Amino acid sequence: MRQTGKVKTMRTGWNSQALLGYLLVAPLLLWLAGTILYPLMAAINLSFQNVGIIGTGGQYIGLENYSKVLGSGKFWDAFKRSLVWVIGNGLFQTVAAFATALILKQRFSGRGIARVWVILSWIVPTVVVVIIWRWMLGTSGGIVNYLLVALGITPEPVAFFGSPNTAMISVMLINSWRWFPLMAVILLASMQNIPQELYEAAAVDGASPFQRFLNVTLPGLQPVLFVMGLVGTLWSFNVFDVIWLLTGGGPSSGTTTLPVYIYEMAFKKYRLSRAAAASVLVGLFLLLFAVLFIRFMAPKGEEEGE
Amino acid sequence: MRAKAGAFTIALIIGMLFMAWGPVSAQEDVVEIVFWHMEQPPHRVERIQQLIDEFNEAHPNIHVSQEPQNWAEIYAKAPAAVAAGNAPDLLFAIPDFTPIIRQVGAVQPVDDFVAEMDEAHGFFPSAVEPYTYDGHVWAVPLWNMAHSLWYHVDMFEEAGIEPPETWDEWLAAVEALTDEEAGVYGIGLPANRHLYTDQTVYDFMINAGAFELYNEDGTLRFDNPDTVEALDFYSQLYQYSPPDSPNWTWGEAEACFVSRTCAMILQFTVIKSYEDQGEGDPENLGVIPIPHAADLEESGTIAYPNAVMLLTDDPDKQEAAYEWLRFLLEPENYGRFLNMEPGLFLPVTEDGSEAESYWSDPLVVEYEAQIRVMLENSQNGMLFGFTGGNIFPSIAQISAQNLLAQTLQRVVIDGEAPADAVAWGQEQMIEAIEAAEE
Repeated sequence: MRQTGKVKTMRTGWNSQALLGYLLVAPLLLWLAGTILYPLMAAINLSFQNVGIIGTGGQYIGLENYSKVLGSGKFWDAFKRSLVWVIGNGLFQTVAAFATALILKQRFSGRGIARVWVILSWIVPTVVVVIIWRWMLGTSGGIVNYLLVALGITPEPVAFFGSPNTAMISVMLINSWRWFPLMAVILLASMQNIPQELYEAAAVDGASPFQRFLNVTLPGLQPVLFVMGLVGTLWSFNVFDVIWLLTGGGPSSGTTTLPVYIYEMAFKKYRLSRAAAASVLVGLFLLLFAVLFIRFMAPKGEEEGE
Repeated sequence: MRAKAGAFTIALIIGMLFMAWGPVSAQEDVVEIVFWHMEQPPHRVERIQQLIDEFNEAHPNIHVSQEPQNWAEIYAKAPAAVAAGNAPDLLFAIPDFTPIIRQVGAVQPVDDFVAEMDEAHGFFPSAVEPYTYDGHVWAVPLWNMAHSLWYHVDMFEEAGIEPPETWDEWLAAVEALTDEEAGVYGIGLPANRHLYTDQTVYDFMINAGAFELYNEDGTLRFDNPDTVEALDFYSQLYQYSPPDSPNWTWGEAEACFVSRTCAMILQFTVIKSYEDQGEGDPENLGVIPIPHAADLEESGTIAYPNAVMLLTDDPDKQEAAYEWLRFLLEPENYGRFLNMEPGLFLPVTEDGSEAESYWSDPLVVEYEAQIRVMLENSQNGMLFGFTGGNIFPSIAQISAQNLLAQTLQRVVIDGEAPADAVAWGQEQMIEAIEAAEE
């Protein structure tokens, strides 16, 4: 009887705690339901209709939008460009962030200023970034082209946004320039948590700097790299503003990634429902990616600790 | 003591209620008019605000306020605002934007008001025509804009060439003026997927005789030898345009011209930037009609009669909005309104084109010769989808997707043969129209 009484008390205590927990998270859950769940449901509902311009009516047409999107060569071209975009940005940003973090980890005079300075490009608003780079890369008075020609690096100004390939690389570099400082700061913070003793022990064992990076730094950064790999990929995939403002998806659709494709479908071609279908498909793809990434890339230590 | 305090509190509350109620009751008699326009540069917003302030002061029962928008976003934002019930009372328009807003059921016909203004000020018919279809007039014309060919006079003189009138002369002039080593390009032509490129492509189409996009029965006639000829010639000139032209909008073209990197450009006007950032020498600023193909006799150009749509269905607001527009179109105000950007916005009324308020602006006085040429050019202006007395609102879908610019990109960027690109363009246009009819 006494045991039963204890269980009852514990259960009652747990219930009141749980209730408090629910009460505390309820406002956030309601907020998320209003700002994410409702629009998501509305988009799914829209994707089964034939609405053209926002605000006009439509009829339910089943899966027709999905079949048209999946059968469209332009959708798959945009999908390929999105993959190129994510991989390119991942490479550029990872290399730049690692290099910056490793440099900023060293002791040198002015390190404090350098650590603040490096974050500036991330603080600058996107529109300003776009204007700065458009003018700097322009062929009529742009400083970059002026220097390239003046220093004899190129015989004539380079059209950075003049062809699909150069435009894609240019936009990737500009986007990476904007985002790598955030990654560098996170990496730097994580590097400083790696015990110095590990580096000293590795040095005593005769490990070269590269071997120390490979066997001490990288494993130490695994948890943060996992999170950045997941979140960074999702962020990168969904980038719209920089691309749209710099190239509008051009030239000749060369930078039309999926977010740009969806925007054009909704607000240039006025096929809102078809754009909603494409959005749902992209959402499903990103969800699948996240599940697989967590399943196969999660740091082993965390799994064991669960 | 307590009773006194209670009486004081009650008196205070009643007093506060009166104070709060007073202004509200006064505001109830004021009709609020919100109007969206896409003239974002600060000096234009400032000039419009000056006129608004004068109007509001003279009309205490009406309060007009402006909310500047962006042309790049308005095609998405305005339908969304209508759907959300937050539409403005007045919304600026160009002819191919009006059908989009009409499709969401928000535009009110303005036949009677346009007739009244026509009687009072005399609208140029070409300004009203693009807004007249389906039995009504759908917007009140406010100003016109037309492309011209702008050039540096001294560059022509140094090269010993005359301003071109035909395409052969134009190509020869562009070749002669290009000196890539010196960083000078004979012409600046855009190839961006942008409205500016649509406009320049249409300039070439007009001057090749391909100005009709539709047949009389509403079928498309974009795919024809004249359009192919226009795109072929565009690509010939484009070789002499700066390498970053595929990313140009109006601003980059103007910058290229003002910095003397481009000897010529097609533009509505360059006067303000030429005066503020360039040489500022009216004698050295040349402007002529756009050259035409050899088999045509005269030049044509793209022209955009800009207008304002009435979206509110509230009779009080409608009358207040009309009062504001009457004020704007009065000759003493109209010139100042147009000169928010001197030399860009051309009058669409007979008395406005002679108004002292228009011709007395210092910049207009300085560049009067150029503005006279612009006005003359605008008389031969036309707009794709709004020609020949047949107006097909499906042009809105073609325009919104920049299909003229996309067709050009296939030629000058992807290297496709003009005939194939034009055939592709027509397919895309048919698809766009069918999608709109679904």
